[in-house]
Amino acid sequence: MKQTVRLNINEQWYQEEVEPRLLLSFFLREQAGLTGTHVGCVIGECGACTVILDGRLVKSCLLFAVQADGRSILTIEGLAKDGKLHAVQEAFVQQYGLQCGYCTPGMILATYYLLRRNPNPTEEQIREALGGNLCMCTGYVHIIEAVNAAAKELKNRQD
Amino acid sequence: MVKFDYVEPESLPEACALLQRHGEDAKLIAGGTALLIWLRLNLLTPRVLISLANIPEFDYIRFDSKDGLRIGAGARHRDIELDPAVRAHYPLLHETFKKVAQPRIRNMATLGGNLCQGDPLTDPGASLIALDAAVALSGPSGNRVLPLEQFFIDYYQTDLRAGEILTEIHVPPPVDGSRWSHIKFLPRSQEDFATVGVALTLRLKGERCEDIRLALNSVGPTILRARRAEEILRGQPVSERLIGAMAEAATEEVDPIDDNRGSAEYKREMVKVLVRRAAQAALQTSAPA
Repeated sequence: MKQTVRLNINEQWYQEEVEPRLLLSFFLREQAGLTGTHVGCVIGECGACTVILDGRLVKSCLLFAVQADGRSILTIEGLAKDGKLHAVQEAFVQQYGLQCGYCTPGMILATYYLLRRNPNPTEEQIREALGGNLCMCTGYVHIIEAVNAAAKELKNRQD
Repeated sequence: MVKFDYVEPESLPEACALLQRHGEDAKLIAGGTALLIWLRLNLLTPRVLISLANIPEFDYIRFDSKDGLRIGAGARHRDIELDPAVRAHYPLLHETFKKVAQPRIRNMATLGGNLCQGDPLTDPGASLIALDAAVALSGPSGNRVLPLEQFFIDYYQTDLRAGEILTEIHVPPPVDGSRWSHIKFLPRSQEDFATVGVALTLRLKGERCEDIRLALNSVGPTILRARRAEEILRGQPVSERLIGAMAEAATEEVDPIDDNRGSAEYKREMVKVLVRRAAQAALQTSAPA
């Protein structure tokens, strides 16, 4: 039996009739048309589907859209403002923190979530925070450098 | 995945009534991170999912120095990990919850859901058993409280009866002078399940081990307490020899299987190594558990 759900995604409300078994990741991609959230393994392992739900970093393939009814979600599309990249995105570009780009939205949101809580992470803390995002291309080194660069840039903007 | 209806009761009695009405056709969902995987694999095919997301007073974490720690079944791993009272008074729990999977999972997954799944590979149950935790269950025949170590029965089987909902986890107040250690042996990737997990608490009086709890995960059909191994050290003056004997005895209480985390033989050997290391590490700590 279908249900109506209303989700606030990147500060815009979306209302759709969905089956309860529709995963949040598919709602984002197919109903809301926001294909920046990627589907990698669909089993909760790779983190390509990572989004931020009510301020918490979560895997959108491990949630039903109905579980997010009435709540607010930040996807990768919500980071850039007026065509200008967020500092985290900029850092990934500058530090070559991506190749094919498939894991990148998840990596960027995980970085955003980390730096909001911990603006000065050690390498150990960065590795732990991004541990749920798998990357097949880069070998992670440039990704860590991107996180460090983003942290530095955000701190500079603060001071 | 089968089609199902998704219902959101607004109270515990309403949830229980729904559970009773639908019986075998229904499953409870809280965070859903583990449940979803089983649904995708069609290992579970419920017709109704009963969400516990709107049950009031379901996700609290309360500490009282006389009563101890009470955690609502809906509390998320992440909230327990970050709770200041848990960090201050139950460092074993803080350490354990930090190591569960990774933040994305911990942000959604509830402790009640974790315990009710009865997965022997998970970490919180072992540390909670080492702290003498008990669970409160609410169902058609009333409410009952059960020591956690009696709750796990077999692979993915707990003592949760038809129509029952786990509502609270209670950990007794910390005991002065209690020492602890936690080892999650994880030779693969960081967010994986443990190959061997060890949770140990003990209390010394002078040179003598006054009391001890040794719990293990990932090495048997359930999270288990190694009572016979504990007996070797309990009441005795602590020595390297006895610690070694306890570690050896622990290998006889576990029943690991061959899987892609290691062979049964390897895991058994690692139990011996890690129980010994856990005991040595616990003796180094001096904070109350």
